[in-house]
Amino acid sequence: MRVLIAEDETLIRLDLKGMLESAGLEVCAEARDGVEAVELADSAEPDLAVLDVKMPRLDGIEAARRILDGRPMPIVIVSAFTEKSLVRRAAEAGVYGYLAKPFREEDLLPAIATARARFDQLSAVREQVDSLAEALAARKAIERAKGLLMQNQGLTEQDAFARLRRASQTSGRPMRVIAEAIIQTLGA
Amino acid sequence: MKILIAEDETLIRLDLRAILERHGFTVCAEARDGLEAVELARSTQPDAALLDVRMPNLDGIEAARRIYAERPLPIVMLTAFRDRATVDKAVAAGVFGYLLKPFREGDVAPALYAAAARHSELLAARRRVGTEQPKRIDVDLPSSSGHAWPVRIERAEDGSLDVRVVQP
Repeated sequence: MRVLIAEDETLIRLDLKGMLESAGLEVCAEARDGVEAVELADSAEPDLAVLDVKMPRLDGIEAARRILDGRPMPIVIVSAFTEKSLVRRAAEAGVYGYLAKPFREEDLLPAIATARARFDQLSAVREQVDSLAEALAARKAIERAKGLLMQNQGLTEQDAFARLRRASQTSGRPMRVIAEAIIQTLGA
Repeated sequence: MKILIAEDETLIRLDLRAILERHGFTVCAEARDGLEAVELARSTQPDAALLDVRMPNLDGIEAARRIYAERPLPIVMLTAFRDRATVDKAVAAGVFGYLLKPFREGDVAPALYAAAARHSELLAARRRVGTEQPKRIDVDLPSSSGHAWPVRIERAEDGSLDVRVVQP
């Protein structure tokens, strides 16, 4: 697993990196502030991020929010500050864990394991949501393409549908793809 | 937020209650073993649970699994077990957090807030899917003439969707 770490204090950053590497994780990027963290979350393609809160330029919670907007991943916050307002902001931003500093290696690893597992679970459910949306979109596209064929080619409904079906069968492409091509050609 | 705590050691249980109340949580139930935890999760309808692992009658991970199966809620484990196998078992049971004993007070409330937020996000996504996503959907494609075409939408192995007419 590739981990991005963001921490402005060099010693703590080295310490964090050591902990993660000794647990067999790869630290693929090290950020020294929130802006760097957001950039590296995109370019270094980490599987997970561990972010400090108080950092120059952009704090870790706002960085988490921007990272999740761009390229969702499980995020664990580490901070010496655990006031309710900060914790709630972090929870609302979408983080999976929030550990008080100073922490031990044995605190960090289970937080990473639960974050990763629950994130994967949510991603799987979200993919299902997307494929349902896709099924509905397919229905709409086919209906629209059929209507266009009837209108433009003077076909009966039955013939219009048969033509769509035949195009799908002979081309080996899903009917949605055929329907969308027809909409593009005739619907403009 | 109403919290169920399960911990067989009285002193730790009292300590946990005090910490939670200090942070504005309500402790709605205290269980002394895993079986009690499962029963109290059912009868007191907590918003989240904080469970020890090693408890009499039923361990906390199995309790978490049963609680989750009955009514999903965010669960955070609190345990002295740091070994990979126990963590993995807890993760597989569906827990949202895992704190090690001796625990630091500063970790308890943040773990619960993060767990609750991510859990409600997961529930919301699940509600949008319905219970289980069917591999196949049969629909009638309505038409302007009032005629309906039976259409089958199927999901292939690679997740892509294909739409076919069931009968001409």
